Amino acid sequence: MRWFFPMVLLSLLLAFPPIAAATGLEFYQGLLTKIMVYALAASSLNLILGYGGMVSFGHAAYFGLGAYTVAILMREGVTSAWVIWVAAVGLSGLLALLIGVISLRTRGVYFIMITLAFAQMIYYLVVSFKQYGGEDGLRARRPEFGLFELNDTTLYYLTLGVLLAALYLMHRLVHSRFGRVLQAIRENESRALALGYPVFRFQLVAFVLAGAIAGLAGVLMAHYTQYVSPSLLAWQQSGHLMMMVILGGVGQFWGGVLGAAVLSLVEEVLQDLTIHWQLGVGVILLLIVLFAPQGLAGLLRRKV
Amino acid sequence: MSLLELVGLSRHFGGLLAVNNCSLSVAPGEIHALIGPNGAGKTTLINLITGVLKPSGGRVRFQGEDITHLPAHLRVHRGLARTFQITNLFKNQTVRANLELAVQARSGSSFRFWQPVAREKHLTEAALAVAEQIGLAQRFEVVVGQLSHGEQRALEVGLALASRPKLLLLDEPMAGMGLEESEKMVELIARLARKHTILLVEHDMGAVFRLAQRISVLVYGQVIASGSPAEIRANPEVHKAYLGEEGDTA
Repeated sequence: MRWFFPMVLLSLLLAFPPIAAATGLEFYQGLLTKIMVYALAASSLNLILGYGGMVSFGHAAYFGLGAYTVAILMREGVTSAWVIWVAAVGLSGLLALLIGVISLRTRGVYFIMITLAFAQMIYYLVVSFKQYGGEDGLRARRPEFGLFELNDTTLYYLTLGVLLAALYLMHRLVHSRFGRVLQAIRENESRALALGYPVFRFQLVAFVLAGAIAGLAGVLMAHYTQYVSPSLLAWQQSGHLMMMVILGGVGQFWGGVLGAAVLSLVEEVLQDLTIHWQLGVGVILLLIVLFAPQGLAGLLRRKV
Repeated sequence: MSLLELVGLSRHFGGLLAVNNCSLSVAPGEIHALIGPNGAGKTTLINLITGVLKPSGGRVRFQGEDITHLPAHLRVHRGLARTFQITNLFKNQTVRANLELAVQARSGSSFRFWQPVAREKHLTEAALAVAEQIGLAQRFEVVVGQLSHGEQRALEVGLALASRPKLLLLDEPMAGMGLEESEKMVELIARLARKHTILLVEHDMGAVFRLAQRISVLVYGQVIASGSPAEIRANPEVHKAYLGEEGDTA
């Protein structure tokens, strides 16, 4: 019974592309792809923000780096998707390692500020690279997988597959020894240290993992839009991901997915209705923070 | 050979000398009490021993090895475990989860990402054994926030115990306790002392003089006296600095 709802949802997602093609709703297939990409990125942020208690305000850096890796490598003539994927995930993880090693020595507001500062440095660095488009951004052609051709539909299924795999991995992680210690550190760091856990190392591993997954989400985003711009790396993007996590539920397993889906849909609807759509988003976020601190996932859990 | 030895240990915070050239040794098997007025530097000393703070000078030796620069988490693995003066637990989790976490820390690597930890029955069994030792077996599945103060203090000791320490550092275990709860804690400490060496920081003089084989007195960051309870009771300097007001009632 616990799996009934997810299975129905999964079946609908699997069946959607042919239905969309038959009924002329291709637009919504694209929207769903975008939502799944954001779900992946937001879930990776939820891993450190929700389960690890690390309020990183620079998650767009890894997301953007993943996306830019696609665009730059394609531009430089590397067209193998496998090479690009490995490079993007590796580089994002490496960046998270560098930022994490320094940032994780700070706490609280300082941690928020230093992760933000690092992300902004990457942002301005990318803007200054005129050969890669600077402020205008860069085309990101789709690479070759060999096994199949990457078009809108295969990308949809690819994104769905990656999202499911990543969610499964994170589910295992959260319930493993490592996950338990990570959550213990979030709850009481000094006690975790007194029990003999090397707190810093646990946090760093989670931080790098989250960065690498966000990088992968960035890759998929580049495949989706076929274009990258510095806005992918900007602090607004980090804030956007953070809003998804808060909306969906901080430290709730489905928080990232729910937040990404609902926020994207709300934005889509409000954008059609009014140019002041951001005001509406703000009001919704405010209501969630005030009345449902565990987000939509927490609300659903209470109802079920 | 002493189990723990502090040699000329100092720590200052800016201009304030919290611990000043402090030397102390704890012999295996004893309950060694550390007493002193508020602000004497007792908790700072505990933090220096556990590695939470780095000393400004001096050395810490444990089992004959210099651990002055050993990171805090490795000291726990060597056999140094502490309790906190202000209850420091995983409040939103059950007694069981708290103790399992403590057991997990000493039984194999926790950098395991795949197997569900809930399936590791040996953690639960070891946790339950500790719960029985501290009298919380009946409260195993209760969330810590719902325990009484005395029970929380017992769990505080339990978490240290679960790491199978060679030396237990108890930082004011009776803090905030009523008479009855204190009595239980004294019994618990006396029981633990059969198998553990204990460094006990405590304000409750009645408990200290009942439990300790040796007592060291810390005043303004310096050890001004160290000896048996009888020697400390008779020491005029200790009286002047500290015991005067409380010692008579003890």
